[in-house]
Amino acid sequence: MRLQGIKRFHYARDVEEALSLLSAYAGRGALLAGGLDLARSPRSDLEGLIDITGLGLSYVREEGGGLRIGATTTLTELLESPAARRYLNGFLPEVLHRVAALPLRNQATLGGAVVSAHPWADIPTVLVALGAEARWTDESGEHKAPVEELWRKPFRKIFRQAVLTEIYLPPWDGGFAFERLTRSAYDVALLNCACGLGIEEGKIAWAQVALGATPHRGRRLAWLEEALVGKSPDEVLWAWVRDEVRGKAEVRTDRRASGDWRRAVAGTLVARTLAQAAEKAVTGDG
Amino acid sequence: MALKGKAVGVNVRKVDGLALAAGRPKFTLDMDVPGALIGKILRSPHAHAEIIGIDTSRAEAVPGVACILHHGNVERIPYTTAGQGWPEPSPYDNFLFDRKVRFVGDRVAAVAAETEAAAEEALRLIEVEYKVLPAVLSPEEALAEGAPVIHDEEDAEGIHDAQHNVAAAVDIPVGDIEKGFSESDVIVEATCEIPYSQHTALEPHCVIAYFDEDGRLVLRTSTQVPFHVRRIVARVVGLPLERIRVVKPRIGGGFGSKQEVILEPVAAALALRTGRPVRMALDRAEVFTSSRTRHPMRVRVKLGAKADGRLHAIEMEALSNTGAYGAHSLTVLSNTGSKTLPLYNKAPHLWFHGQAVYTNLPVAGAYRGYGATQGYFALEVAMDMLAERLGMDPVELRLKNHIRTGETSPIFEKIGEGREGKPQIVRSCALEECLRVGAEKIGWAEKRGEKRRKGRWAYGVGMACSMQGSGITGIDMAAATIMMNENGSFRLLVGATDIGTGSDTILAQLAAEILGVPVERISVYSSDTDFTPFDTGAYASSTTYVSGMAVVKAAQEVHEKILEVAAGMLEEPAQDLELSEGRVVSKATGKSVTLSEVGHRATYVVDQQHIIASASFVPPESPPPFAAFFCEVAVDTETGLVRVERFVAAADCGVPIHPRLAEGQLEGAVVQGIGHALTEELLFFPKGRCVNANLFDYKIPSALDVPDIEVVLVDSQEPTGPLGAKSIAEVGINGPLPAIANAIYDAVGVRLCRAPFTPARVLAALVERKER
Repeated sequence: MRLQGIKRFHYARDVEEALSLLSAYAGRGALLAGGLDLARSPRSDLEGLIDITGLGLSYVREEGGGLRIGATTTLTELLESPAARRYLNGFLPEVLHRVAALPLRNQATLGGAVVSAHPWADIPTVLVALGAEARWTDESGEHKAPVEELWRKPFRKIFRQAVLTEIYLPPWDGGFAFERLTRSAYDVALLNCACGLGIEEGKIAWAQVALGATPHRGRRLAWLEEALVGKSPDEVLWAWVRDEVRGKAEVRTDRRASGDWRRAVAGTLVARTLAQAAEKAVTGDG
Repeated sequence: MALKGKAVGVNVRKVDGLALAAGRPKFTLDMDVPGALIGKILRSPHAHAEIIGIDTSRAEAVPGVACILHHGNVERIPYTTAGQGWPEPSPYDNFLFDRKVRFVGDRVAAVAAETEAAAEEALRLIEVEYKVLPAVLSPEEALAEGAPVIHDEEDAEGIHDAQHNVAAAVDIPVGDIEKGFSESDVIVEATCEIPYSQHTALEPHCVIAYFDEDGRLVLRTSTQVPFHVRRIVARVVGLPLERIRVVKPRIGGGFGSKQEVILEPVAAALALRTGRPVRMALDRAEVFTSSRTRHPMRVRVKLGAKADGRLHAIEMEALSNTGAYGAHSLTVLSNTGSKTLPLYNKAPHLWFHGQAVYTNLPVAGAYRGYGATQGYFALEVAMDMLAERLGMDPVELRLKNHIRTGETSPIFEKIGEGREGKPQIVRSCALEECLRVGAEKIGWAEKRGEKRRKGRWAYGVGMACSMQGSGITGIDMAAATIMMNENGSFRLLVGATDIGTGSDTILAQLAAEILGVPVERISVYSSDTDFTPFDTGAYASSTTYVSGMAVVKAAQEVHEKILEVAAGMLEEPAQDLELSEGRVVSKATGKSVTLSEVGHRATYVVDQQHIIASASFVPPESPPPFAAFFCEVAVDTETGLVRVERFVAAADCGVPIHPRLAEGQLEGAVVQGIGHALTEELLFFPKGRCVNANLFDYKIPSALDVPDIEVVLVDSQEPTGPLGAKSIAEVGINGPLPAIANAIYDAVGVRLCRAPFTPARVLAALVERKER
């Protein structure tokens, strides 16, 4: 049985109160929004649960072509929001439809996905490719950092004493695509990939490429992004991408897939995703 | 055309449908027994070890702990957990608790405590000193010279060759196999392997043990075999049979895993030791590692055929991994040959041989298909290879060789349930029509060999056939009691065990058909060892056929008694009367009396009697249901991912008593078979611990993964069956594995012989083929 040590349940009225409560529990309190990961938590030392769904952090707002998404926004709320549908021509709903299953999407929050950031998860790979920025508050004040940078830090420790408030997605002029390989529809990815491309005068102007579930958390392939700029998005380039990524991708074996297979298909997956992103960039479809 | 009666052949409402749909508390653990303790089991962390010492003093000091059982304080009685007819053909190699543990997850001790937390705390505080022994983690290691002996205890019974880790062995020659192959024009050979897989029934194994007002032990349990539970628990805990009552409420799926008596003896022992009720349930990880699995098996099939495609010789060799204990080891192994080889009865020369060996891995047991699934994988892949070598259409090859009505196979007589079988003639077989319908629906003629491509996707079609049985000849026994209420309604008491298949409904339909009343006039009460007559249980595709025949016989007797009473009322001989739509009608005059009038007269007025009859049925034969499977797959040639696009299963189950339930059985089996083919495999760390004992890592098909499945029931009339019926529960699971393997071959030209066909395996095969 899990979470047997819980003694108290609190509804925080604002971020400040949530932080005070976290501080008072000195590591033995946890924030509760969707609660998906908390329900699976093996921590028997937790004594207090602090519900943060009343902090007003469930929103999706447009800002200068980008999106500000409150941390307690559920995946379903995000997926259904008109603002998300307008962002990159509906790239987010397209991705989120494929993440988990409907009942889980109703419960899971975007903030939870950032705070837990499971290595096999799809959302971290997508956020990394989009250059998302996480915004949080702790006792010393407000902070922000690109998610990729945040996840290089001991982020789980940070969020034991902080409230993630918002995820910001910057504006992009181009197309994004996402692909994943799974064993079944409800499976987590054996490998996932999110790519964005900007195309000007038939050449790639910028590229964002993230490969995840390798089984490491999604990371950008900076060397590839640089190499793509100035090239024509065509079959020759995708064939080159396939071979290069196969040679360079950092993959290994876990209980779901072997490193050999991941290596063999990583190039294919990245090339496929890039080809789709290029198509969207050209047609203005995402 | 098959019989379509008023109640039979009709999709009536399930007798338990409304209660289940409304979420009424009908399952084992839904009942609240005040004051119940929680039982938990301490499991072995080692694959193979001796228990040198066990100290429970700290655990006993945990507040709320009522009792701790282990090998040092319970009687040592050998038994088998296999819920089979007595005497069980499985070895008695289990003990409630043993001095030795034989797999990671084996039972070491059990705790009963006031709360789950206290029970878990006590488990943590039991100190066990182990002497770790070398472990045997594959059948090959088990058979190797000098391998550690897993069952070295002297008091085990019925093991074939304990010193060499062989739980069971079979060797069945028919004709002269060498001569058969030497006379063959074409010979092919396939070796196919199925790994560990688990049934993943929605409801885990669970039980409540409590005492009735007379101090008798009641076990309310999620089981497929209530009467075997009673017998086995009586043996293990030393209670007279009549002091135990086993009740089976609604069940959330079994698929064979609950033909195993796993938790009941532990719960009974804890209850008896404490004098308190005890609730127990396995968690999902325990279900995976410590309940039962399919027998992993490697099967080699060698086929010899004449140039015209007629089979001349079939050799089948099976190496079965029974895990740490031998539950069902002999019978699953036997079934691998006995349920497959008769399908192609034209070959005069046969040899079926194999061994079931112990390993220090989880225990295998009964699982839908019961060995036939393993056998058909290799047999039907080999048939596909043979068709290719002969340049013959695979459907044509099956049509040329499959058994027909009026024919027999020597295998029926040679292999039975752990002993010799009985000769049998096939009295109904619509496989030819199944093959025709299935081929037409999938578009076989157009698609086979078409090698359709769409970008990276390659498409192909494949097929396979299978048969099974309907109950176990001469061993299964079912009984039924039907009594008429005075208002002309009936009570049907059956020992048969509805595990979610709908058998309560089907048995009610059979009774209703014969008694001329709507199904709603029959109240079914089933699976209670105190109040229902004996039935061996829900396994071996037996319920509709075996229990159904008992119901038919009882209903016919009641029918006769009703006519006798009515004869007195109508003043006409009984043979001139007929029962229809709730009335007894005179064929001559048209005068009639209602069943209510008959009931009131018999109960209260003249020659008072309870109109009641009991009947038993032992199947003299086990008529096979047949099925043909066709599927279309898409293979991603870049990643190795396989998608089943369409699946057609056409089956002959005789007269479908409830067509929708029969279709559901077939669809469900096909989906489980697709899981076997594409995703399901338990993996183990080098020291024998299971890697993926959870539904997050072990993937079963979900609703979103189910392809377009079309199931077709091709009726036949089984003359020995209840109103023409035979079984449908298992036959559907044997086809998907070979059909999908054969479709992959059609699509991309690689033979997948190791299930599941994961992207990694498929891609590796594609790469290997390219390199060749």
